[in-house]
Amino acid sequence: MQVSLTVNGQRRDLLVQPRMHLADALREVLNLTGTHLGCEQGVCGACTVLVDGVPQRSCITYAVDCADAVVTTIEGFDADPTMTALREAFSAHHALQCGFCTPGMLVTARDVVLRLGEVTEARLREELAGNICRCTGYVGIVDAVAAVAKGRQPEARREVRLAEPRQAAPLVEAMPREAPRLARPGGAAMLEERVALTATPDAAWAALADLRRVAECLPGAQLDSVDGEHVTGRVGVALGPIKASFAGAGTVALEAATRSGKLSGRGRDGASSAEGEVGWQVLPGDAGGSVLSVQLSWRLTGPLAQFGRAALVRDLVRRLAQEFAANLDAMVAGQAPPPARQLGLFALLWSVLRAKVLGR
Amino acid sequence: MKAAAFDYRSAESVAQAVALLAEGDTRVLAGGQSLGPSMNLRLARPQRLVDVKRVASLRAVAADDAVCSLGAGWTHAEIEDGVVPDFSCGLMARIAQGIAYRAVRNRGTLGGSLAHADPAADWVNTVVALAGTLVVEGPGGQRRIAAADFVRGAFTTALQGNEMLVAVELPRLGQKSRWGYHKLCRKTGEFAKAIGIAVLDPGRGLARVLAGAVEAAPVPLPLAAKQLWEAGPAAAIAVLDDEVAARLADLAPAERMLRVVAVRRAIEALAEG
Repeated sequence: MQVSLTVNGQRRDLLVQPRMHLADALREVLNLTGTHLGCEQGVCGACTVLVDGVPQRSCITYAVDCADAVVTTIEGFDADPTMTALREAFSAHHALQCGFCTPGMLVTARDVVLRLGEVTEARLREELAGNICRCTGYVGIVDAVAAVAKGRQPEARREVRLAEPRQAAPLVEAMPREAPRLARPGGAAMLEERVALTATPDAAWAALADLRRVAECLPGAQLDSVDGEHVTGRVGVALGPIKASFAGAGTVALEAATRSGKLSGRGRDGASSAEGEVGWQVLPGDAGGSVLSVQLSWRLTGPLAQFGRAALVRDLVRRLAQEFAANLDAMVAGQAPPPARQLGLFALLWSVLRAKVLGR
Repeated sequence: MKAAAFDYRSAESVAQAVALLAEGDTRVLAGGQSLGPSMNLRLARPQRLVDVKRVASLRAVAADDAVCSLGAGWTHAEIEDGVVPDFSCGLMARIAQGIAYRAVRNRGTLGGSLAHADPAADWVNTVVALAGTLVVEGPGGQRRIAAADFVRGAFTTALQGNEMLVAVELPRLGQKSRWGYHKLCRKTGEFAKAIGIAVLDPGRGLARVLAGAVEAAPVPLPLAAKQLWEAGPAAAIAVLDDEVAARLADLAPAERMLRVVAVRRAIEALAEG
């Protein structure tokens, strides 16, 4: 796509793919290599540039999304008096060593000095928290920025834009709902959910013995083949914007005497791998109905496991189990198959993201 | 890493964005401060993004005596700086200031954060705490969803694939309102380990206490809120241990304690403020 930007005072027309982020456009297309790329996840701050006068992360901003924007990179501050003062202070206070973080650090520091003026050291450290330096220990950087900010007043705030008032609709006061039924305490990677079914224990068990129908009730699951106790299939994952498909194989064991079954399997999607087991048992319930007990356990293997967020996974598994039971109940009652839905079970993906990524 | 290939469209209006969403595998791009990292990490690979940054109606602000409505497109920094008029006795600006980092706040939006529904994100917990209402628009027009019903769980909302969030309606807090907000983070700007919110508006009869960042939908604490309303902050703090234990029984004791501490500090801040 073609996109027009003003970069360091010059209008530039670029031809870029939508997937190219602004930092790559600056570095690779315009050869402005002063903008550095550290994490490419919006965390380290090395790529910070001014977009329309305010600091932004150029690694999580697409170039096409900056049409008509005014961009200032570290190369564009030669004549800027605040930046001149900061450069001298960084030198005097030994606020850089390898220099990798410095372009982003300076862009952020300039914004802090102009926007806030002189502030306490604690506030200054908070404001600089989004720019990571691995050499200096920050002492020199904080001293340098504080020296430039000393005695300065914050600049005037941007003009407040007031929209035409309109009559807003009345508020719906939502009373807090009852807490969801919580799983009983257990190991971090194990959860049991019990759901009452209207079907009799025999009817529920008969339905559960048909694996294909069971799979239909598991959100996002699909059975590709059943050969004796061996099954292959896939579990689709949709968690917010994230979609993945774990293809895998498993084994099934059914025990009619106790009306219980167990499916264990493992799957991979790219570098991520997950291993899990779902067990189910039909128990007699009230008024001729039954109670379905679903136990889910899972284990994450590979390098991703260290980022595990047990509580997040538990919430997803709990919802998965509830939806499974509701779908199963509907199926036993002879209702239409559930609409295809996906619910994320393998939240390990998010664990990686959350361990490293910022921005909400 | 770099994002996988995708198509990019810029919408001029909500109707245009909704029409593009209906064509399938399209995500709304607002500030992109959560979606961008997920795409760079290849965790999200949408076929197409529809950019709503230029949709003017997403930057509307309106208010009557009881309720204010904020367009979904306002950035955190604009809320922090007071560019968006304040109807919350400073609560919104204070919360905005604690979101991630300034460079992220300059681009990330109120609506984008809510639609993303990270359980540890500030606005997700705030709108549930304030019992707000979210206005979403799809092909059939607009519908309004109570915040507690909008946030279904981690990264899961009541939004359908062809709907987008257009505005947030929040109670307009009276001048005698007091509030406290406390976020426990290991590092400034990081995702919260625990969030506590307490709001008391004598004029509107509003008392709310909430435990957030629980890796699931935020958890209102109505008993603590009732105590806060009837008997004051100390009485609310006194019931926290039991109410958090009852409502977050599946959390490990240390995790529960983090929420108790965050909520207690929020109530203490309310009492001092």
